[in-house]
Amino acid sequence: MLPAALFLAAFVAWPLLQFVVNSFFRYNPIAGGPHTFVGFDNYVRALTSAGFSNSVVRTIAYTAIVVTLEFVLGLTVALLFSGLGDRSRFFRTVFLYPLMIAPIVAGLLWRFLLIDNSGIVNQLLFDAHLTSSPNQIQWLSDPNIALFSVALPDIWLTTSFISLVLFAGLQNVPGEIIEAARIDGARYPTLLFRIILPLLRPVIAVALIVRGVDAARAFDVIVVQTNGGPQNSTNVLSLLVYNTQIANGNPGLASAMGTIYLFALMVIAVIAVLTIWRPGSDN
Amino acid sequence: MNGLESRRGSTRAILWTALTVLVVLYAFPFVYMLFTSFKTPIETNAIPPTILPSTWTIQNYITALTTQGVPQSFVNSIQTAVISTVVSLVLAVPAAYAVTRYRTRLGRVFILLALVMRMVPAIVVGAPLIAFFHSLGLSDTSFALALAQTTISLPLSIWLLASFFEAVPDELEESARVDGCSRLGSLWRIVIPITRGGLAVAAIFAFLASWNDFIFALLLTSVRAVTTPLQIANFQSQFGLDWGTMTSLAVLYSVPVIVLAIVLQRHIVAGLTLGAVKG
Repeated sequence: MLPAALFLAAFVAWPLLQFVVNSFFRYNPIAGGPHTFVGFDNYVRALTSAGFSNSVVRTIAYTAIVVTLEFVLGLTVALLFSGLGDRSRFFRTVFLYPLMIAPIVAGLLWRFLLIDNSGIVNQLLFDAHLTSSPNQIQWLSDPNIALFSVALPDIWLTTSFISLVLFAGLQNVPGEIIEAARIDGARYPTLLFRIILPLLRPVIAVALIVRGVDAARAFDVIVVQTNGGPQNSTNVLSLLVYNTQIANGNPGLASAMGTIYLFALMVIAVIAVLTIWRPGSDN
Repeated sequence: MNGLESRRGSTRAILWTALTVLVVLYAFPFVYMLFTSFKTPIETNAIPPTILPSTWTIQNYITALTTQGVPQSFVNSIQTAVISTVVSLVLAVPAAYAVTRYRTRLGRVFILLALVMRMVPAIVVGAPLIAFFHSLGLSDTSFALALAQTTISLPLSIWLLASFFEAVPDELEESARVDGCSRLGSLWRIVIPITRGGLAVAAIFAFLASWNDFIFALLLTSVRAVTTPLQIANFQSQFGLDWGTMTSLAVLYSVPVIVLAIVLQRHIVAGLTLGAVKG
């Protein structure tokens, strides 16, 4: 345990601490110059800037879009899998592949699929007579829908994760309970909402926590699709912190933003973990 | 079977149709990428776009592989992922063993902390690590990148291995110790051989975490240690929208892990469900 603990201390805890310490200073690594201790000044600037609060809202919206759609799709697929039993094995295998693909590849691929004028998605929608022209929907350049569009590769990549996890959970639902409910005349919706979903609660909780935290940290898929644009409409927190740090050369402010972001993530995650899931209690 | 399986033929037909439609939609982006990688540049940018190439060409693959830096980036990616996987396992095996066998309060706190560390955004850890590796003289090396990426895979590895070690009965080890085996000896001779599958799972996930990582590579490499995801991302800025070359490189980069998935699919499913259900 000690070597791993030391490693995590050196490569996670120590940089983390440094990051937090940085948030109390103002300096510019490119132009040089001294580190000036500014107290909570960076925090005040972060919290009062519109850019930061807008990013917070976008991050929450992005996470909500990703997690909701993934869950609905993932559950549908998992129920289809278990409805078909063992014969769905081939499809379950197909569902593994997106999980192997690098997010950067998925991001670029979807940009290619959605791109104005020559994107295949718009062309297919047009061919299916769902839209009146092949460039009616400006997926990535309309600020009103760009946040939704950049979420697509994320959803594409990891819906399968939710499906497979929920499917595994469904395998553990005792058959007698379902059987008994059926004999009592329960129809499928009742069965789903009254029995299956409550029994799956721990599995659902963990899947949602894991995916929620990951979605809130999304970086690569968004960077390669829009790099935060158009008009900042996809500038989520991870991008804002990165750009403040590297492009704008203001690590102090970036660290303050990052610290708030990190702290919020941790608090939410720890509350979620402790209340819904209780680690270790099942061992 | 758990009673969820439908028994009526008509319902099953509907389920099959629904699943087939979903899977086709799901596979479409990847298949389209594959087709695009075999198109000529003119056809790649054609309006309206076509699905199948009218003439198949491997020119994009040749261009991608002869672009400066691309072959080296593949070497770097493999090297980084292997180092990261090895470091991750070497650290995770004793840690997971200690947590499962000694069951102390400290162990619980440790594994929970490890889980919390998995939630730290890479940018937060990555930015200070730039200066850290610089001071060690390790800037822009695969080794430094691999260590940074291990911060992603280590907590998950510990968690997965702890679950697998948990399943090994204590009695097996006790009898080994009666026969004069040390703690380390019984870990090496009993626990590890029994949990080979679990080790494979942890190794796959550590490898994938490194192979697919973009942000640490972006922060910590510049020339020498650049990995393929960075090269793929570079294609759009360097050559405008050269989708043919970009997609062929993306396909090449995905092939090894897809082969890995086919060969080791049973292990991957086990890891996913364990990783999620337990952590």
